[in-house]
Amino acid sequence: MRIELKREGGVAFFPGLARPRSMETGELPPETAEAIQRGVSDARFFEQPATVGTAARGAADQTRYTVTIEDGGRRHSVQLLEPVEEPHLRALLELLKKADKEHRASAHAHPSPGR
Amino acid sequence: MRHSPGHRHSLHCILPPYLAREIAQNGSAQQRAYALRTIAVDTTFRAMRLVRSGMPQATRRLIPGPMVVESQKQRTIYDVKNTQALPGTVVRTEGQGDTGDPAVDEAYTGLGATYDLYGEVFGRNSIDGNGMQLIAHVHYDENYDNAFWDGERMVFGDGDGDLFNRFTIAVDVIGHELAHGVTEHEGPLAYFLQSGALNESLSDVFGSLVKQRLLNQTAEQADWLIGAGLFTDNVEGVSLRSMKDPGTAYDDDVLGKDPQPGHMRDFVSTWEDNGGVHINSGIPNRAFCIAATQLGGYAWERAGHIWYEALRDPRLRSNSSFLSFARLTVMAAGRLYGTGQDEEKAVRDAWSQVGLRVSRERAGEPVWGPGAQLPKQPPQRPPAH
Repeated sequence: MRIELKREGGVAFFPGLARPRSMETGELPPETAEAIQRGVSDARFFEQPATVGTAARGAADQTRYTVTIEDGGRRHSVQLLEPVEEPHLRALLELLKKADKEHRASAHAHPSPGR
Repeated sequence: MRHSPGHRHSLHCILPPYLAREIAQNGSAQQRAYALRTIAVDTTFRAMRLVRSGMPQATRRLIPGPMVVESQKQRTIYDVKNTQALPGTVVRTEGQGDTGDPAVDEAYTGLGATYDLYGEVFGRNSIDGNGMQLIAHVHYDENYDNAFWDGERMVFGDGDGDLFNRFTIAVDVIGHELAHGVTEHEGPLAYFLQSGALNESLSDVFGSLVKQRLLNQTAEQADWLIGAGLFTDNVEGVSLRSMKDPGTAYDDDVLGKDPQPGHMRDFVSTWEDNGGVHINSGIPNRAFCIAATQLGGYAWERAGHIWYEALRDPRLRSNSSFLSFARLTVMAAGRLYGTGQDEEKAVRDAWSQVGLRVSRERAGEPVWGPGAQLPKQPPQRPPAH
């Protein structure tokens, strides 16, 4: 399963945080990969509409995530506006954010000296 | 309305006879006091709004909020306890003392400072001009790296501790979020492309004024940074944005480099960030900073008034461009302080320094209303970017 996570919005635009992040579940720790597999199926991700949640009139600075998942020949993207109301989708987004963070940390052996 | 040249005191703004009567007949002592203190009451503008809104029967709306509603802060802070289960639990309401939780107390103080700026400087009773309660939710989610305005309330994360500290730490960010509420009530300005960047810029302007007023800083003394203190020591940067020097706020391995331009020649065309609302806001931000610094003294006194007046101008469209907003500020400066005075010149000059030329003849043109005599002129061309 291949996952792409793109963050947009928030109180400022950070080019470094806005870059889409990709993960292969095969590269993740097995328990994380399993949790994500389960999360995708619990959230019925592939049946979700392209956008979930609309900004209220006058709302500003909300964060929006675009989650794209490729699995077994299927590919689907869902845009999620925070706060995400639906509990399964919210749980999935949390899992993906956490996995991305761990993935990034292990890939870059962060923090580097001098920072 | 005539302005005497050089007259800079905004209290000369007229209290219309019907309103004086209304207050004299029905107002409490406090309301009378508010009436006298209220600034930027421009009857012509109120009439324009009514004409435009097509609601001639809404005579009540001629009476400004602060004069009929007792000005009273109504703050409520909720603790979401590191969950996403909004609203959470009420932890501090109006008049209660410090809780010892910095996020709660900073939110409470920041809401108060924002209310006071609008109330005491601009004569506005809260976000909607009608005493709207100020509600903030702190400790939203775990390690949450954001603060946002959902249309009715503010939500603050604690930050992840790696890149960001808690989002209540910066009072200008609190002011920024509430100012989105004011813009929604006065504008609105669509949160997209140039109008969205104007929306963002107005939030930075009033957020910064909240901070400057709290610190009692003149335009010269202010750092003009937005969100100073939000970054942890791990980040190479001082703040989210710099109004004085857009593009210089941070340059970091993880966050990237501050993408804000400070001049129209560097305008960023993008589909990201709602068309660059947090990016191109650097341009009008810098214009405000230049105007305020040029005028000197406290930025909220003249520059702030001018920007507030422009925001309230009924000619402000939801899809306004930078240039059309610039024109409204120049007109507002002339209206408030006299045509051809320093204020108007400083504002016009500030916009021209960021690459937006407000021509002399256009700025003063009477643009509104049935039967208004419009000068003959060629159709408006798009701004030369």
